Amino acid sequence: MKTQTSKNSKKSYSIIAATETLGQQKYIRHQKMRKRYIFWSRIILFAGFLLLWQAAATFGWIDKFYFSSPAEIGKLFIHDIKDRSLLNHIGITLFESGVSFLLIILFSLLTATFFWFYPSLGKLFEPFLIVLNSLPKSALAPLIIVWLGTGLRTIILCGMSVGIFGCILNLYQSFSQTDPERLKLIETLGGTKMQAFTKVVFPGNIPTFISLSKVNIGLALVGVIIGEFLAGRRGLGYLIIYGSQVFKLDMVILSIAILCVIAMLIYGILNVIEQKSAS
Amino acid sequence: MQCNPSNKSFLRLEHVSFSYYSVLGEVSVLNDINFHVEKGSFVALVGPSGCGKSTILSLISGLLKPVGGYITFYSDDFCAPKVGYMLQHDHLLEWRDVYHNIMLGLEIQKNKTPENLAFIDELLEKYKLSDTKNKKPSALSGGMRQRIALIRTLATRPDLLLLDEPFSALDYQTRLRISSDVRGIIKSEKKTAILVTHDISEAVSMADVVILLTKPPCTVKDIIPIEFEKNGINRDEIRTSKLFQEYFDKIWREMQDENTDI
Repeated sequence: MKTQTSKNSKKSYSIIAATETLGQQKYIRHQKMRKRYIFWSRIILFAGFLLLWQAAATFGWIDKFYFSSPAEIGKLFIHDIKDRSLLNHIGITLFESGVSFLLIILFSLLTATFFWFYPSLGKLFEPFLIVLNSLPKSALAPLIIVWLGTGLRTIILCGMSVGIFGCILNLYQSFSQTDPERLKLIETLGGTKMQAFTKVVFPGNIPTFISLSKVNIGLALVGVIIGEFLAGRRGLGYLIIYGSQVFKLDMVILSIAILCVIAMLIYGILNVIEQKSAS
Repeated sequence: MQCNPSNKSFLRLEHVSFSYYSVLGEVSVLNDINFHVEKGSFVALVGPSGCGKSTILSLISGLLKPVGGYITFYSDDFCAPKVGYMLQHDHLLEWRDVYHNIMLGLEIQKNKTPENLAFIDELLEKYKLSDTKNKKPSALSGGMRQRIALIRTLATRPDLLLLDEPFSALDYQTRLRISSDVRGIIKSEKKTAILVTHDISEAVSMADVVILLTKPPCTVKDIIPIEFEKNGINRDEIRTSKLFQEYFDKIWREMQDENTDI
């Protein structure tokens, strides 16, 4: 993410550089300094936090048993990477989240499209979807386990359950808010409803689609972790629950740290995609 | 189906009426509308806002069906004339460049023949818009966008153009320029056109015939032929001519009667 923002700033500076005056140069230098300052401050803050934590654990200010320490977590990380177990867990969580996400998107797109073509069906289902959407979705997980057992299917369904209702609703609402004048334009050109959808409604909603994807990939991850808590035998959610039950707190914290990195990577990738599609 | 453009066809509305239905009851919008449009002429419908001018266009284009009366197209062969619409906003799709926006109509009508594509190029060339071809609509000014919207409409080779207040979203200066441009384009393409507007000077400066409508339920109040050429006035000078003022005053007075009738 960091490299991306700095690249952006460079881009805008080079545009300004065409008509640079002395005052401007000063201003730009100042801005650049400020950016650099913030960037390094962040790194120092994080490094400081880790150092303090390590020191506190080493000198016995905190109980290592409950709080672990960066060094131990690092050691565990290297050990688990070497015996391939960690990559396996990360892989399975990513796989489940990815499948959940794709299914959410696919299913929402199909349903919202269907509702747009048959608005009375949309009207019919809207209140039910609103209720399901406002439900705390983790409440559904035990039910899914009873129905489907503890396996991949359950976890993927859990992953879908968090985002899907909101995704359908948002997409449908966004489809139905298409400017009626634009639909009239298609009608005056002699177009069918199908053409109105493919030429105006769908392409006009691609920005909404992308921002929904952005939200839902995160929600899929949330749902998958819930699923793994309750029904997983593998994955980062399973590691967190297992670690907490056997008091291997380094395992728990390591898994959380990896989730942080995954979330950050996903966010970065989606930002790039969003910017690409906007330009 | 393509109508032979050499056909002398025209449009006649007889006793046309239209109502909207709402929970509060029936709202009569049009009541006994009668007028006709000659081939190649430019007709302006002028009336108080909310009087159902746009409804008349929707009826002519077939988007709505009249409650009563007849709308008849006369043509030598038996094919319905093609209607092209121009709306208040240009509605250029921002994810398509100008060329593909213009192509929209042909795409929808599955009519992307080499001749039609060449026709687009020809239109762009003729009206000096070729350099906008690969630009995104967001890079164009409001007046430019409306011109592109007109080309988009013309690309489908309509026999009749319906202009629904196409300039009302533009600023005054642009409006004056674009309205005379659009008239020029429509005349040089030899199209029949019906313009809906609430702007009297726009109607007088563009049309061959002004049809004045009453407030709802709307009927035809007066039909005023606008004859600048016959009176030897050059098109470039009409806005400053005395005759322009006379037409304007006449229509203005009649519209005022309409407003005080309430």
